[in-house]
Amino acid sequence: MKEGSASPTASPAFAVLRAEAFGVQALRRHDPALAGRPVALLTGAGREFVIAERSPEATGIRPGDPAALALARCPGLCLGERNVEAEVEAQRLLLAAALALSPRVEATAPGMCTVDLQGADAAATDTALRRRLAELARAGLEVRAGLAASPLVAAYAARRADATNPVLVVTDPATFLAPLPLAWAEPAPACAELLEHWGIRTLGELTALPKADLANRLGTAGVALWERSAGQGVRVLRLAEPSRTFAAEWSYEPPVESLPPLLFRLRRYAERVAFELSAAHCVADGLALTLFLEDGAEHRREFRLPEPCGQPDRWMRVLQAHLDTVRTAARVRAARLVASPARPPQVQDGLFDTGLQDAPAFWDNLARIAAIVGDERVGTPEPGDSPRPESFRLRPPAEAIPPPAPAPVHAARGPVLRRFRPARPVCVACAGRRPVRIEGSGWQAAVRDARGPWRASGEWWKPRAWAAETWHVELAAGGLYQLARAGLAWRVEGLLD
Amino acid sequence: MNHPMYVELHARSAFSFLRGASSPEDLIAACARLGLPAIALCDRDGVYGAVRLHKAGEAAGVRALVGCELTMEDGGILPVLVASREGYRALGHLLTTAHLRTAKGASRVAWSELAPASDGLIALTGDEAGPLRRAWRERGGDAAAAAGERLLGLFGPDRLYVELQRHLLPGEEAENRFLVAWARARDLPLLATNGVLHAGPSGRRVADVFTCLRHHTTLDAAGRRLAANGERHLKGARAMAALFADLPEAVANTGRLAERLRFTLGDLGYHFPDYRVEPGETQAGRLRQRAEAGARARYGRAAAAAQPQIERELELIARLGFSGYFLIVEDICAFAKSRGILVQGRGSAANSVICYVLGITAVDPIAHRLLFERFLSEGRKSWPDIDLDLPSGERRETVIQEVYRRYGRRGAAMTANVITFQDRSAVREVGKVLGLSDDLLDRCSRLVGSRDDPSPRALGERLRAAGVVGDQPRLGALLDVCRRLHGLPRHLGQHSGGMVLSAEPLDHFVPLENARMPGRSVLQWDKDDCEDMGIIKVDLLGLGMMAVLQESIELCAQRGEPVDLAHLPPADPATFELIRAADTVGVFQIESRAQMATLPRLRPENFYDLAIEVAIIRPGPIQGEAVNPYLERRAGRQPVTYPDERARPILERTLGVVLFQEQILRLAMELGRFSPEEADELRRAIGFKRTDARLRRMEVKLARAFRDNGVTEAATDYLIRSLASFSLYGFPESHAISFALLVYASAWLKVHRSAVFYAALLNCQPMGFYSAATLVQDARRRGLTVRPVCVVASGAPCTVEGSDAIRLGLLSVRGVRAEAARAAVAARGERAFAHLEDFLARTAFTPGERRALAEAGALNALAGHRRAALWHVAVAAADDDLFRRAAAEGVTGPGNAGAPPAAPLTAMTPWERLQADYATLALTTGAHPMKWLRPHLPGLVPAAELGRLRSGLRVRIGGTVITRQRPGTAKGVCFVTLEDETGHANAIVRPALFERFRSVITLEPALVITGRLQSRDGVTHVIAESVAALGGTEMPVTSSHDFR
Repeated sequence: MKEGSASPTASPAFAVLRAEAFGVQALRRHDPALAGRPVALLTGAGREFVIAERSPEATGIRPGDPAALALARCPGLCLGERNVEAEVEAQRLLLAAALALSPRVEATAPGMCTVDLQGADAAATDTALRRRLAELARAGLEVRAGLAASPLVAAYAARRADATNPVLVVTDPATFLAPLPLAWAEPAPACAELLEHWGIRTLGELTALPKADLANRLGTAGVALWERSAGQGVRVLRLAEPSRTFAAEWSYEPPVESLPPLLFRLRRYAERVAFELSAAHCVADGLALTLFLEDGAEHRREFRLPEPCGQPDRWMRVLQAHLDTVRTAARVRAARLVASPARPPQVQDGLFDTGLQDAPAFWDNLARIAAIVGDERVGTPEPGDSPRPESFRLRPPAEAIPPPAPAPVHAARGPVLRRFRPARPVCVACAGRRPVRIEGSGWQAAVRDARGPWRASGEWWKPRAWAAETWHVELAAGGLYQLARAGLAWRVEGLLD
Repeated sequence: MNHPMYVELHARSAFSFLRGASSPEDLIAACARLGLPAIALCDRDGVYGAVRLHKAGEAAGVRALVGCELTMEDGGILPVLVASREGYRALGHLLTTAHLRTAKGASRVAWSELAPASDGLIALTGDEAGPLRRAWRERGGDAAAAAGERLLGLFGPDRLYVELQRHLLPGEEAENRFLVAWARARDLPLLATNGVLHAGPSGRRVADVFTCLRHHTTLDAAGRRLAANGERHLKGARAMAALFADLPEAVANTGRLAERLRFTLGDLGYHFPDYRVEPGETQAGRLRQRAEAGARARYGRAAAAAQPQIERELELIARLGFSGYFLIVEDICAFAKSRGILVQGRGSAANSVICYVLGITAVDPIAHRLLFERFLSEGRKSWPDIDLDLPSGERRETVIQEVYRRYGRRGAAMTANVITFQDRSAVREVGKVLGLSDDLLDRCSRLVGSRDDPSPRALGERLRAAGVVGDQPRLGALLDVCRRLHGLPRHLGQHSGGMVLSAEPLDHFVPLENARMPGRSVLQWDKDDCEDMGIIKVDLLGLGMMAVLQESIELCAQRGEPVDLAHLPPADPATFELIRAADTVGVFQIESRAQMATLPRLRPENFYDLAIEVAIIRPGPIQGEAVNPYLERRAGRQPVTYPDERARPILERTLGVVLFQEQILRLAMELGRFSPEEADELRRAIGFKRTDARLRRMEVKLARAFRDNGVTEAATDYLIRSLASFSLYGFPESHAISFALLVYASAWLKVHRSAVFYAALLNCQPMGFYSAATLVQDARRRGLTVRPVCVVASGAPCTVEGSDAIRLGLLSVRGVRAEAARAAVAARGERAFAHLEDFLARTAFTPGERRALAEAGALNALAGHRRAALWHVAVAAADDDLFRRAAAEGVTGPGNAGAPPAAPLTAMTPWERLQADYATLALTTGAHPMKWLRPHLPGLVPAAELGRLRSGLRVRIGGTVITRQRPGTAKGVCFVTLEDETGHANAIVRPALFERFRSVITLEPALVITGRLQSRDGVTHVIAESVAALGGTEMPVTSSHDFR
């Protein structure tokens, strides 16, 4: 659809692809449970939580409404926060779609890409654009496009486009811009408040004000706003680099234990990888899938596709066929999909292509280990900040060797504990609370002397609170041991030297 | 085996604020359970919990010893115990000095201050935060020994004990070995303590939560800051002897030291300051002289009739030694009057003819047959309580600062108000500590109302509703800790007006500290503690209506229509007609929705009816089921009966129903033959809010007395029920009559000086039950004109123009500073503003204030319309003042600058003006928003029409929410009042419906309610069946009176 005068002045030089309520769309691509439900994203903190974005189903609420009020006004509303991982993924998808139109693309903002179409054939572009929008919609991202002579006007047009007219071409900017809401020109908050008081609500109303008078009142910010409202201003696109790797890695929180949620996200990432391959005019001839399990293990499988292709549906058939047969010992907490790029089938396969050809670009030794066991499992153990026995935490590897700690005021004295792993269960006879005899796990001896108890307990707020009582005992048969009691059960924890 | 006596000498209560986890009462109960004969409370930097410990100890037979943990200048914590009254005074002085020189909540004692103060104090070496152990841990044995030597030098060997603690922690014995060795080397006594933080083992949870709150962290992140185990609870002699089996003298020394601590709070020795009289004159003589003069002024020729009562009171006051007290209070009143500040005694003081003739109160107790014994009696152990009402705001502060000036910074202070954890605050704080998300906590705290059932089960249900699902693993912990936290002190606030005076420095009796408000100091005890210790307070209370009356008097005088409140025409028919019609928005005390619903049923006809009206809608009479019986009897639908024929003279005026506290006391004396002493004890039990144990004891005693004196079982039950209900807040008759004076005065002003009255109400906002927006709409419905703010016509406050027009003041505009507004009015007084440029040049409003004035329409007279004004002030704001002034004055001559060119902006639409009014003024002088919306909301019945419709009809009402009430006495029912352009519509939302629509009702600014109409005795309600937001439009957000 064209907006403005009936006689086009020139071919649009720029296209903007824009996803409305991008955060919500990205979140929904990530979570199948949100499909069809009213969803809103929150911003702020504490008492200041307000609605930032909402899905079309979330009727009766507006951005800026307090969260509690939104819940009252929209029963069944699902509130969430921005999911950065989901947004990055959706942005890569959008960028790949834009790169399929032209190599000169800018990732302008989250959910928005600007494409430089100068020199492109208008008819071919329109066809390609509509095909890409349809593919994006199938991948869970509803995107509109605006075409105009400048990036700014194209962005307004993309925002103005709707489901019935997903591609809007602006041929007469002045007519097109006049009724648009002033907020689209993104005035600074103080400026916006003042203009609201002035009753200025559209770009046309603002540009009707004398520019010089506006400058007197709002300064340079006002002038810039006036120019944005008039669709003026030229800027150079900051071009995005197309992806050179065709991989996706994602995590499941909470970890998944059944196939449907695993496949849902796998498909989403496969779609993005396929878009990136397509933008690079490639297809995949092989796939590598790695599942990272909760117990630290991983399941890895490489697939050689029968025929190189770039269609995620066909990839999914291969992947699902395999996953249907897989049984893992623990839940899947993360997954990685790598596609090995190849020229489309008419191009002969490279003899030395492998799925790991780009590995040096993003693997180094430490990252490799971290990727296998998880970042939180790499580091140096040190005593934990808890009185719980054997409590420890992992300090991330230091970039430099730290200076030696000062000597303690009171040097550790007394015997050293050699822990038995695991601790050995024993039966203990007591006089009062004091152990007098131990039996079991190879011991059968009276206690000559006992010191203690020392008690520690904690984490009462968790389902598994802990409590420990320890004693140091000297056996009549010789030997100094550390005894621990938990409830009625006793264990010898180690030998004291 | 016999164990030596053990006394816990280092215990902290929750009055250590976010450290100790048990109340003093719980500590005493645990002592009694464990057989400990005494306990010393060493709260951090204060004796905040000492009185409670003392009173609970007295009741339980446990000796309450006084101590304190002093925060020293180097951050070390030194526990000291009070051995004598001198020691207590020294401690009070130390603490006061340490607190007053730091910001509120902080205290630092200099080591150099300890030497002169240490007599009468005994020091312990402390726990891990104490000087010795802290030095040992941080710098080793030599440093610890040096710290010990300093303590030894300050306190000497006979007043320093080496404190040992065993909490079953690894490593603690190394410290104890050092302490024992050092003590033996210096020949100092050892002392076992358990460094108690909570009464029982389970209190550790609260202590951990407090630790997190103190460190602003969560339980998951607190690590070793949390207690390693739960051993810091009170332990009995056997347990402590077992712990210190190798050092028995450390336990035995606790008993010996406790015997040395002779001081308890029973030895406080407080004296109210004397009133200075001439040599040869006595205070009693001066009081008699003042009373006789006052009687002549009050009664004139009828003074002789009052003389017997005056004599009786003077004699009793002199015998009890209270003459100086009356003179001092009279002096405060005289000061206020000399400054033209209205002052009126309230409460039981109005029972005294001496208070009346001295001008302290305005109620004639003889004419109203008030019971003097409610105020003062032979058997009274404590001082009488005189509360003074003053206009809130600056005038009251003037009086308070005068008291400080007269008695000195250490001779007068405000009583404290202990802020405790309530459900809402507990859920928020504990939830935060448990790591629950902010948005979840926000939802929780919005949904937990102060009137909700506080039980963990109900709280749990509410939290589930807020999205904390039932299997939330931490819900159990949240509920458990919230239950334990409920009622524990959170921090110390300031009482609304209670001031304590003393002949000696007050810190001899209780330490003082800085209040958050500049120029104020506050005691470490609240009003109940002060009363328990016999410390007298004079309440200097700020009352919004007093400010309104004062403002009205001044406005009337300015207009040449002076009003003398003391001589208003009595029983004015128009005034009573207004009251009977419940047209009482803005009228003192009887403007609430519940009061307005009662007025048409009670139909007040005289002054005493007003006192009944004031007293009857209180939790006491409502809970005591006195309201309906009284109204039915008054309407003649129920016979007037008495629980006992002997009660007839006492209950005759209230038709056989108990409405006033005095009636309970007189019934106790007449039917239960209570002595004056017992009656006073009963009075104190009724007024004691902290626990109901005192009242329960008195109930049992009174019931027995009634039965012993032949009162029937049914009558006894009724009377005891009435007594119980008064603990929920009931009025003394004298207090109700004092308030009735203000009711009558404000209603009279509303009828006869309407414009002045509304202007004064607007000037004294916020106060009362309704917002300024509602007051303006009410004024408009009464035929007054409310004119908008205008810089060429408005004063700084609201003023009256002509006979029936109110002009909003410049200060009505949000964000406008008083000094700027006054300066503008003064500039206009010198020369009228010629045009907008002239106005901008000669006033000192900030850019923000100018914008607000423009948006509010205050510049219309100079600019044409609001947007034109906004356009012009925007350029002025962007300009440099110097150049602008030069342009205005230099180029075109002062005051002669040309009018600015036309603005290119269009004028606001009526709806935009309405929005701008609410944004800048929080009200509109134009039509109510509902008038604009009604065409779009078919089927809504206007509020004014409800009274004309048939009861039982299903109706839909809609409007802005002006009140949401859910009183504790209503068993979960919520009362909502909607305002439209015709008036107010009341809806009753039953509990189940309220729970269903809780969010909508509590959060939406405007509602549509559908339900059945219920009309009775001229009172109309809608019994809600469904509730919905009045959405689809930009309804201005107005303030409402919610859940208070």
